[in-house]
Amino acid sequence: MTQCHIPRMEATTNPVFCTIVPPHVLDKLARGEDPTRADRAARTIEHDALQRTRRRITTVRGAAAPTGTPSDKPQRTIYDAKNQETLPGRKVHSENDKPSKDASVNRAHAGLGATFDLYLKAYGRRSIDDHGLPLNATVHYGEKYENAFWDGSRMVFGDGDGDLFLDFTIPVDVIGHELTHGVTQHTANLEYWGQSGALNESLSDVFGSLIKQHALGHSADQADWLIGAGLLGPDVQGEALRSMKAPGTAYDDDKLGKDPQPATMDDYVKTSRDNGGVHINSGIPNHAFYLLATALGGNAWEKAGKIWYATLTGGELSTEAQFADFARLTAASARTLFGEGDETQAVLKAWSQVGVPTS
Amino acid sequence: MRIAITRTGGFAGIERQAELDTTGRPDADHLKALAHQALSGCPSGPTRGVPDGFHYEITVDGRTAHCSDPHLTEHQRELIQSVLREGA
Repeated sequence: MTQCHIPRMEATTNPVFCTIVPPHVLDKLARGEDPTRADRAARTIEHDALQRTRRRITTVRGAAAPTGTPSDKPQRTIYDAKNQETLPGRKVHSENDKPSKDASVNRAHAGLGATFDLYLKAYGRRSIDDHGLPLNATVHYGEKYENAFWDGSRMVFGDGDGDLFLDFTIPVDVIGHELTHGVTQHTANLEYWGQSGALNESLSDVFGSLIKQHALGHSADQADWLIGAGLLGPDVQGEALRSMKAPGTAYDDDKLGKDPQPATMDDYVKTSRDNGGVHINSGIPNHAFYLLATALGGNAWEKAGKIWYATLTGGELSTEAQFADFARLTAASARTLFGEGDETQAVLKAWSQVGVPTS
Repeated sequence: MRIAITRTGGFAGIERQAELDTTGRPDADHLKALAHQALSGCPSGPTRGVPDGFHYEITVDGRTAHCSDPHLTEHQRELIQSVLREGA
């Protein structure tokens, strides 16, 4: 089904002269000295803001019903879209098949396994719905397609343009990020807009990073705390797409612009773009998790991860939860799991450091 | 005919924009027909997408439509690819 709509006649279009224009670059142009460019950029920003307010997307609930008996083994199937944008594509690899000659297929298979492993071993969760849901992924989606997404029932990966972005199956945390959208969909189902959307994004980054740390056996102080390391092309100035350790520092490039993430509420970005900044303000809860995990030390998926997982799946988190709601519930989860000790104090301190109230 | 595409969202959260003027292009008739087909038949109501999915805003001579991956028609897909590839 086509999901789009045409609002009433819009204001005139705004000419744009760059092929890739991140919002912060437009802001820079709008404040610049070239009056023509500044005016066009300012009108583009206004126009975009107007459009964004008309648009919000929500998560998809219950797209796939639980099937089969919950198992301790993943049931993975990889499909190949063969550079078309048709889903699911052709089935090319099943759970017990030999490794494929296609590295993207093998990476997707391994990444799905690493994700299944963390959720089962650290949290006792059987697949994304806790009922052994088979894990399906499609690789080679579209032509030079620069994205990966969760469509409500499967993970979908593009090959990237080979210049700015490489194959989206390369970073295991990207695979974990997409599958965690599935876990969130089956649990708190956070609405993909504003702060609840930024929490949805942050939970995907947190568990995406934990899946990588768990797979590598890295403790909190050994982890890179990056999202999308290895995804950017060799000429791009940047190490990843997001940094949980230092939000706002992952990349600074002529074509991509600069990483716009804030680390604390002082720099919270009010915007209607990107579903109200879901990929921007997620830097704040991301950083809170990093602060907690490194304060507690050891393996981040053990204590810090358990607190976040209990909060996500505990049934108290509303679909429209704001940062402060989530923060308060993480403190409650910490008390339930560990009592009024160091862990709970560390949770309160981490949120305080990023400027989110817990009471 | 001026056709503008703004692509937002996506895993990276990085925006991309491009615009194309069909005047004087050998494929002007094809692009105009494509633009008409891309915008027609869209049901009214809010645009919905999927987590990390791209959103597209297609503006043709002042008329704007919104659509999202992976729910594009073939016409929308071809138009978006053409404009993002060849537009400036």
